[in-house]
Amino acid sequence: MNARTELQLMRLLHGELPSGEARALEQRIAAEPELAAACRRLAGLWQGLELPPPRPVPPGFATRVVSRARAEATAPSLAAAPAWVRLAAALSLATGMALGAGLGLWQEVGRPAGTESEVGGVEVSPVEGSSLAEAYWSALEGEAGSGEAGSGEPGRGELR
Amino acid sequence: MGAFPTDVAGASASALPATPSAAEGSDWQLLARVAGGDGEAMAELVEHHQGRLLRLCERLLGDAEEARDAAQDVLLKLFRKAGSFKPRGQLYTLIYRIATNHCLNRLRRRRLVPFLSLERSSERGEEELSVLDPPAPGADPAVALEARRRWRDTRRALAALPPSQRAVLVLTRFEGLSYKEVAGVLGITVGAVESRLFRALRGLERQLDRGSQQGSQRPPEAAQERTASGVSQKGEKR
Repeated sequence: MNARTELQLMRLLHGELPSGEARALEQRIAAEPELAAACRRLAGLWQGLELPPPRPVPPGFATRVVSRARAEATAPSLAAAPAWVRLAAALSLATGMALGAGLGLWQEVGRPAGTESEVGGVEVSPVEGSSLAEAYWSALEGEAGSGEAGSGEPGRGELR
Repeated sequence: MGAFPTDVAGASASALPATPSAAEGSDWQLLARVAGGDGEAMAELVEHHQGRLLRLCERLLGDAEEARDAAQDVLLKLFRKAGSFKPRGQLYTLIYRIATNHCLNRLRRRRLVPFLSLERSSERGEEELSVLDPPAPGADPAVALEARRRWRDTRRALAALPPSQRAVLVLTRFEGLSYKEVAGVLGITVGAVESRLFRALRGLERQLDRGSQQGSQRPPEAAQERTASGVSQKGEKR
């Protein structure tokens, strides 16, 4: 049986076939045992999907939502600040990012080849043939696999 | 034809009304009042939709606690932009769209962050299932056990699906939406809905078959207990 026929069966099961096509398919099903078996399998799969009844709404849910919405409405937001404040904030952010990127690049350029580097608090060893990003992710995966407990300070393989 | 039940939503989900009611029309009015800062309108809207929204989020995310957080976030998103929505169609479609996108983003973030493994929420889900004992004291324990097995198998199979397929399956099977309604919620074509649903069903069949094979490898005592209790075989329609 081809995928198109199976798709038609799915549409029939879900009441999505136009009535003429539905009748034609039902006649085929009555005449073809293989098609009838496929229908039963699909219907069984569909009806066999079950999830627990919905849980009751937690008490006070609506009150909490309204409270949060009110708190958000009254909290000071950057969007409401004067234009010069928003511009200053954007420039500060951009400057900070540029400085950070520049420092990181300067450190990498100045560091002798073959030594370890630290990116985002994670010490990585340069892996021959791979990029710094790959070494960073490898170190993270190593840290996640070892499950080392945090000591409060970034150590080898630990995230800050 | 008797083999094809017309109610595809199943006993565990209440199907959404096919035609808009007066209540649906007033939802847009409530939203307009929310845009004007009316807290009572906000509370009323939450109460109208909290049940189905929590249900949808829980079915998409597979975790009740995360679903509560997600449902709150969805409602707050709705209220933040209350003044920008044009009253077109049903408000619940809009809510479903925001909720589905929000939950899909959460699901995708889970996949990107291996530390927050799906297994953790699945384990919590297993614990939650264990407290969902039938409320009626006279309920048949074998029936309850079988129901919980189906729920567990379904949740595992759903968790294994890609988020886009999971969303389509949940919206059709458990929320009772038509293909056209699902397409409206997800912002895709009906053809895309069909394609995703078809692939989801194929994937589910593989998952559930795998699960039943593992189940058949259980100790003989467990199998005999299941058979003796009159539990139907997987795949037979009840």
